[in-house]
Amino acid sequence: MAMMPARVKFRKQQRGKMKGNATRGNYVSYGDYGLQSLEAGWVTGRQIEAGRVATTHFLRREGRVIVRIFPHKSVSGKPLEVRMGTGKGEPEFWTAVVKPGTILFEVGGVSEDIARAALQRVAHKMPVRCRFVKRRHVVG
Amino acid sequence: MEIQTLQAEPRTPHGSRAAQRLRRRGKVPAVIYGHQQAPETILVDQHALVGCLEDGAHVVTIALDGKTETCLLKDVQYDHLGIAPLHVDFARIDLTEKVRVRVALELRGTAKGQSEGGIVIQQLMDLDIECLATAIPDSIRVPINDLALDQILHVRELVLPEGVRAVADPEAIVAICREPHVQAAPTEAPAEAAAATEPEVIARGKIEEEGEAEGEKS
Repeated sequence: MAMMPARVKFRKQQRGKMKGNATRGNYVSYGDYGLQSLEAGWVTGRQIEAGRVATTHFLRREGRVIVRIFPHKSVSGKPLEVRMGTGKGEPEFWTAVVKPGTILFEVGGVSEDIARAALQRVAHKMPVRCRFVKRRHVVG
Repeated sequence: MEIQTLQAEPRTPHGSRAAQRLRRRGKVPAVIYGHQQAPETILVDQHALVGCLEDGAHVVTIALDGKTETCLLKDVQYDHLGIAPLHVDFARIDLTEKVRVRVALELRGTAKGQSEGGIVIQQLMDLDIECLATAIPDSIRVPINDLALDQILHVRELVLPEGVRAVADPEAIVAICREPHVQAAPTEAPAEAAAATEPEVIARGKIEEEGEAEGEKS
């Protein structure tokens, strides 16, 4: 089942802007390797779940898969063949708002080749361009 | 490790726009501070700096206005993609003094528990240590061959190189070997969960109650 929040204060939201770059969640924190977004976009709960399943399946339950994004934003739409007006449509799906630099998925406990292959499969399922990144050790 | 030298120039125009212009010219704004001297704003060559960072250097020599200063790479700010350094902090040090730095922890070997079906999870990726500026290790290699299933490796159990002292919490967990979490087979889903295609709205119940109360009043 697609990811969505358990409880919300309001069902419908405005569309919002996706300007600027990621200033948080933009480095590998929990695993050893990650998949970083290079563009801004909406990643739906279904796409996140598809990515998670693809990685877990490829790794055959070895290592760890960490999903760094969550679909907090509801997107509403009107049904087909309905005239405009009469209020806002019903929520159709939930998305995560992703900015350039956001780490989408992380993998730990496996070799670099395996992690690269696993995250490549996820990248194909994402609606944004992605790149493979490694953990950077902190200086200082 | 041999101490590398970075050529630096004094940085006179300050501010974010001047810094952006410098970055376009292949320079990185930086600052030197410490040892109870006035801080100096400088700029260093991006290519040389990236070379130092890729080599894993902790201590560098800054050549500025004909004099040299030994500095510790204290902090590096990167752009949103983590590719280009935006700003660097250098702290003045003496090669005979002890410094506090953060170095990488590398797990080596195969844990005993892995042969019993366990997986090793590294909780602590970097370790804060105190040592002489000339004896900063590139990384701390931790052999985990004796780590059994359901066993925890703490910071206090680490064998550190001579002259190196951990300043992190001794009870902090470095690595753990445990059985992998197996997802339980889906049982019969309760009717509520199956019907829950939308999240629960927090304020809905309250609004309905208020509405009913108003209706009764009128």
